Amino acid sequence: MTIPGFILRNALRNKRRLTLTVLSVALSLFLFTVLQTALRELSQPQLTEQSALRLIVRHKVSLANVLPSKYQSRIARVPGVKRVSRLTWFGGIYIDESNFFAQFGCDANALFDILTEVTTDPEQVAVFKREKTACMVGIKTMNRFGWKVGQKVTLRGTIYPATLELTIRGVYHGGIDETNLFFHHEYLDEATGWHVVGCYWIQAANADAVADVIQKVDAMFSSSAAETKTETERAFQLTFLSWFGNVKFLIGSICSVIVFTMMLVTASTMSMAIRERTREIAVLKALGYNGGQIFGLILAESFGLALVGGLIGCVGTWFLAQNVDMYVLSHGFFVKFEVTPHIVSAGLLIATAMGVVSCVAPAVASVRASVLDGLRELD
Amino acid sequence: MDQPIVQIRELSKVYQHGDIEVVALNGISLDIGRGEFVALMGPSGSGKSTLLHIIAGIDRPSNGRCVVEGTDVGDLSETELAAWRKQHVGFVFQTFNLIPVLTAFENVELPLLLTGLSARERRDHVEAALELVGLADRMRHLPRQLSGGQEQRVAIARALVTDPTLLVADEPTGNLDAHSAADVLALLQTLNRDAGKTVVMVTHDPKAAAHARRMVHLEKGELLNGG
Repeated sequence: MTIPGFILRNALRNKRRLTLTVLSVALSLFLFTVLQTALRELSQPQLTEQSALRLIVRHKVSLANVLPSKYQSRIARVPGVKRVSRLTWFGGIYIDESNFFAQFGCDANALFDILTEVTTDPEQVAVFKREKTACMVGIKTMNRFGWKVGQKVTLRGTIYPATLELTIRGVYHGGIDETNLFFHHEYLDEATGWHVVGCYWIQAANADAVADVIQKVDAMFSSSAAETKTETERAFQLTFLSWFGNVKFLIGSICSVIVFTMMLVTASTMSMAIRERTREIAVLKALGYNGGQIFGLILAESFGLALVGGLIGCVGTWFLAQNVDMYVLSHGFFVKFEVTPHIVSAGLLIATAMGVVSCVAPAVASVRASVLDGLRELD
Repeated sequence: MDQPIVQIRELSKVYQHGDIEVVALNGISLDIGRGEFVALMGPSGSGKSTLLHIIAGIDRPSNGRCVVEGTDVGDLSETELAAWRKQHVGFVFQTFNLIPVLTAFENVELPLLLTGLSARERRDHVEAALELVGLADRMRHLPRQLSGGQEQRVAIARALVTDPTLLVADEPTGNLDAHSAADVLALLQTLNRDAGKTVVMVTHDPKAAAHARRMVHLEKGELLNGG
């Protein structure tokens, strides 16, 4: 027998309690890592070299306010702007409200020159450009609804008083979001007669031009009826998060509760385990084990228990991310669900830290207790 | 008598229970020689167990000195005391106090985990100790698979395995039937006589005490007839 073997025997002596405790820690860690992953997906859209060149011009007041379509030609003339496309959130309903996905009116000729990360079939794009009622759809949404190229899709407007009858002419793959549907802005303009734009999507000529373009575009419209706010695509994506309120605080609070609960569960288990062994600890002391060695035995057991629970929880989250289509499960809310090493490490660090913290009080108490008190406890 | 292995001088122990002071030992002086088998006897509350605990280094005197093998146990810190116990004391309890999830072999091996011995050396020591107490064939048994007498013999093997200076036994037959008690006492006697172990045993049973070479009587915290 070795010291680790002795610790293992102690940990395994009450298998039901051990199992329940490990599962409690595992479930807590599972929830923690799922929430952290969700928070990351919501708040940290991936930044690519191409997306760093993209800017969004929107109404200064809010995203709900629209911009005049005549701004497009003026924006296109700003030095440093390579391409510009209208980009308007349609917010239509496909059959019923549960089938949520994003739909944008855009300039078909510029779209895939700006959205360069995605992969498309050039022939499909050519057809899309020619046909006013055509649309291009991300592969995840195609799969989600079992759509085929050539199929007709009807979107009932909720923001705009129009119902769009679209024909799927192509599919795109890749990029940070494979769920969108893009259609011709002209079709929206004709259907509503409004000629307004949600925002403009700019492709800057190079990274050095980005700051200059932001400043010049906003300056150009600073005295107009519809002032603009120009920002990077990444900054724009982050503003979406604020639509859901203080999500970061909410998730942070839930995570804190989870961690605290985990600590209570582990502390309760370790207290019971140590109390049950009061006499045995006294016997170990009588045999010559000193306070530090006793503390180490208890600490290692608690640490190991928390680590195993944490590992199971993290593996559970990883399994979820690998084997479950979170896009479908979340009804399109999460485009990706990537459990990063950073999140796993943070989870394991918290689990083991809680394992250590939760055993300190009972371990110190048992170290301080005299051998005689321990022996009398049960004699 | 050679230089005594245990020298106790004017030893007192007072327990404080709130405002009340309980005198467990009152100015005891006693020598125990190397290779002796001493039975500490007395009625309940006489202080015999307290005296044994101080000799074994699991309790501290309030006054006076208890020197074992030249070390005054009252001068040691808790950590020093633990190291001292590991080297000098083998403890046999009334209730055996084996770890229920460990086999007889592993229980005996427990004190050796703190030493620098290799696994092979530990195994040799444990097997020798279990053989000495007649349980070589029960090494892989858990405590619940052993009788009370066998459990106590495993506890004696555990106390012996580090080859301590002193073997202290607190009512070692208190939880045993007459037959098992006789076996355990015979074993302690053999260890004393043949292996030269110094044994200090607390008992209130005159039959058990009769196995010792010397009896020391205590009453109300004092030695009767000077020990």
